[in-house]
Order: sequence, then structure tokens, then C-alpha cells
Amino acid sequence: MKKENAISVKNLHITYRGLKKTSIRASWKHLFNKVEKFEALKGVSFEVEEGQILGIIGKNGSGKSTLLKAIAGIFSSDKGYVDLHGHTISLLSIGVGFNKKLTGKENIYLSGMLLGFSEDEIHQKEKEIIDFADIGDFINKPVKTYSSGMHSKLAFAITAILETDIMLIDEVLSVGDAKFKKKSYNKMKELINDDKRTVIIVSHSLGTIKELCDRVLWLHDGLVKDVGKPQEIIPEYEKFMLENKN
Amino acid sequence: MKDIKLFIKNIKKYFRYAVRSAKAELKSEVSDSYLNWLWWVIEPLCFMLIYVFVFGTVFKASEQYFATFVFLGLTAWEFFNRMLNGSVKLIISNRDLVTKVYIPKYILLLSKSFTYLFKLFISFGIVFILMVFTKVPITLNILYMFPILIVLYIVSFGIGMLLMHFGVFLDDLANLVHIFLRMLLYLSGVFYDITTRLGGDLAYYLVRLNPIAFIMNQLRKTVIYAGNPSFEGLAFWLVMGLIILFLGIHVIHKNENSYAKVI
Repeated sequence: MKKENAISVKNLHITYRGLKKTSIRASWKHLFNKVEKFEALKGVSFEVEEGQILGIIGKNGSGKSTLLKAIAGIFSSDKGYVDLHGHTISLLSIGVGFNKKLTGKENIYLSGMLLGFSEDEIHQKEKEIIDFADIGDFINKPVKTYSSGMHSKLAFAITAILETDIMLIDEVLSVGDAKFKKKSYNKMKELINDDKRTVIIVSHSLGTIKELCDRVLWLHDGLVKDVGKPQEIIPEYEKFMLENKN
Repeated sequence: MKDIKLFIKNIKKYFRYAVRSAKAELKSEVSDSYLNWLWWVIEPLCFMLIYVFVFGTVFKASEQYFATFVFLGLTAWEFFNRMLNGSVKLIISNRDLVTKVYIPKYILLLSKSFTYLFKLFISFGIVFILMVFTKVPITLNILYMFPILIVLYIVSFGIGMLLMHFGVFLDDLANLVHIFLRMLLYLSGVFYDITTRLGGDLAYYLVRLNPIAFIMNQLRKTVIYAGNPSFEGLAFWLVMGLIILFLGIHVIHKNENSYAKVI
């Protein structure tokens, strides 16, 4: 039986342009001058089945992070579309948005609600999140008082415990101290290996991609260069990268 | 039409979020200070005393029930002022959130507006206490404040949406808005009655073309002087407010996912 698609990306174009910040004086000039454009994605199409683990590789600036942000709905497409077929989604890497003035506990609720969970659902998992984050009394203090380690520990705990259907992971995480790193890596593996969860991983570490992914998508200069099994794509990619060095 | 449907859907979906976020923000505003929530009462009360002293004693204002007159005007003005000043930098001050997760951007404004509404109602509480103290006759006409406040809310929310959008791209918009609002503060008759002080064509246009002056006038007319509001005027500003609001919804829907690329 063919599995259903969790993510469909069709002819996705993303351009950074004239939306640059400007002053009122400079904006008069904008009316007459052409604004420079930068096309980060130039028509990307692919589909991910439910439960699949897709790795995205490509050199720096090939549009990987832009693609993830577009799938997460943070960037809008200039052409084409992304369809998540009604699944909930979270970007595990950059975590969730915190309101720094509010306490960690309040932020658990607010970020959870933005990820699509109800207050009751979050209430049930609140304790688990706080235990996992393991930041002690700081959970009742404003997030602005956190160290960067505590900040990312809490962010990871929220996205990892409140499990969304689709998870986007930008670079495999190295969060907090050695103990937390091990804990978060194990948790992530557990999440990835869940049969129902669809995962997209962006990484420069080809070893990780080979180990975790069922399929690999190779992005080059804003276009899909190749899609296929890791065993086929990765050697090709390695060869290409070596040739381009010289 | 599509915009309006989506707007209503989003408001429903994120309403709990907006309420929760507003509550948390109000709490965090006072949690560190010694007098805690008392500040919400002390602050407006002190401002009122200052204005009443300056304009009543120094400039010898002659309006009947002057303290209530000023404070009622100030209450409406503060809400309008906060909404407009607060919306310009709203997206940028929420950079952490906006670049990490999708949220319809007007939800940020909605949540902010709840905190301002909370302060507005505290302020109204003080108005009523003041009315009792200064023996202003209290009539049922006070109830007209609700439709008037709804119009105020819609107009402020609409303008706020537009400012929120342009504030993302125009760095110096905040300065402009600041100056403009200061001018408006003195032109809208917070501390004096426009019609009696200015008179003539100038007053005629100032009261009619300036939503906040109009709202303040109506509030005073009904709450303090037990009159009826101008229903045509209210209907006009309701329609204007809705038009601005739809414009704002449209602009935000069209551009909101590009904000993360800029800030």
C-alpha cells in the first residue's frame, strides 16, 4: 500500500528582495530604482511520505535553511506552494520563540499553543517538559535571566516533549552540557524512529545523514540536483564536492 | 471576503493564546516592582492629578467637572496612543517569536490590545470613583460608553495594523508617529473643550475629522453631561474603522510571511 504524503512542495520559489529595511527618505528612491533580488530557491518540488526521514544536503548557501523555514511556514513563497496536509509541524533546531520578559513556565504554554496544542494538552505534559529541561528554579524566572545553555535546553524540551507530526531539524543538535547532549541525542533518535513521524534533517555531517535517513535530497544553488537513497546520492555528492574544490 | 474569513478563523484559533500572553505580560510588568499591581492604579491617578493641577490651576480652565472631564478624555486618549505607538515596533520587538514560528501577526496586536484594554478599564474605574467624589450626576446614558468604546477599539486596531506593517520596513516611522501623536494630543482637546475654546471652522473640522477628538467628545457628552451621542458620527467612524481594518487585514495577509526575511 502506498503511504500518504505528509509534505508536498511544488515549484517553490523564494526571493529575498526590496523588503530590506529602509528609512522614509530612502524609500522615495526605491520607487524609481530597481531593487536587487536574490533568489534563494528557484523552483523546488518534492514530496515526503508519512513516516519518512528525509535528509537534505548541499553546500553553504544552497538554500537548505530557507527551505526549512518555508516548510515551517515562517517564510512565504513567491511562487509555488507547500502543503502539509494538515499535519502539525515544528522546527526543532532553532527552537521556539520565547517572550523574554515572561517566565519559562509561561513560555512553555505560549510556545506550545503556537505549535498547535491546547492548554490542557500542555498542562498534562508540563511536568515532563520541566523535568527534561532540568533547569531547576529558573523555570519560574523570566527567560531573559537564562544562560544560553538553559535557553536552548528549555527550547529543546518543549519541542521534543510536545511531539508534532512533522519535525524539521537543522543540524543535529548540540545543546547544553555533555549530559544534556547525550540525553537530547537519545531523545531525538527516539523521536525520529517513531514510525508515524515525518522528519526532515539538514546536516553537513554525511555520517549522520547516512545513519538516520531513508532518503536524501541534494540541493544545489536553489534547485534540486538529485533525490534518492543515501547509498546512491552521498557518494555522488562527495565526488562532486571534491571536484569543485579543484 | 477571503481575507475576512481567514481573519475570523485566526482570531478564533489564537484567541486563547492572545489572552494568555496578555495576562502573562501584565503580570511580568509589575512582578519585580515593590508596589506590584498598585502601579496600575497609582500611575493613571498621578497623571490625572498633574494635568488637573496644570490646566485647572495654572491655566484656569473653566469646564464643568474639570477633573472628570480631563481624566475621561485622557483615558480614551491613552488607549489610542498606546495602540498606535505600540504597534509600530511590534513586529521587531517580537523578533524572537516571528523568526521561529508562524503566528498571524495581528495576533500580536490583539494580545497587546488586551493589555491596553485592561488598563483602560482600570482607568474607567477611577473615572467613576471621581464622578462620585465630585458629585457628577450619574445617569443611564453612561451605558453609551460601550458602543463608543467599540468604535474606538476598531479604529485603533485598524490604524495599528497598518502601522505595524509599515513599521517593519521603515525604520524612522516610530519617530514620525511619535511626533504626530504628540501634536494630536494637544489638538484633540484632552485638556480643553475644542468647540468652546477654538470655535469656528477649525473646531468644526478638528472634531469631525479626528477620530480620537470625536470619541472623547462623545464620551464626555454621554458619561459626564448625560447627553446622547451623535449616532451618525458613530456610524461614520464605525464604517471608517472597518474599512481601515479590512485594509490592514489585507496588507498583513499579503506580507506577513515576508517580515521574517527583513528583521
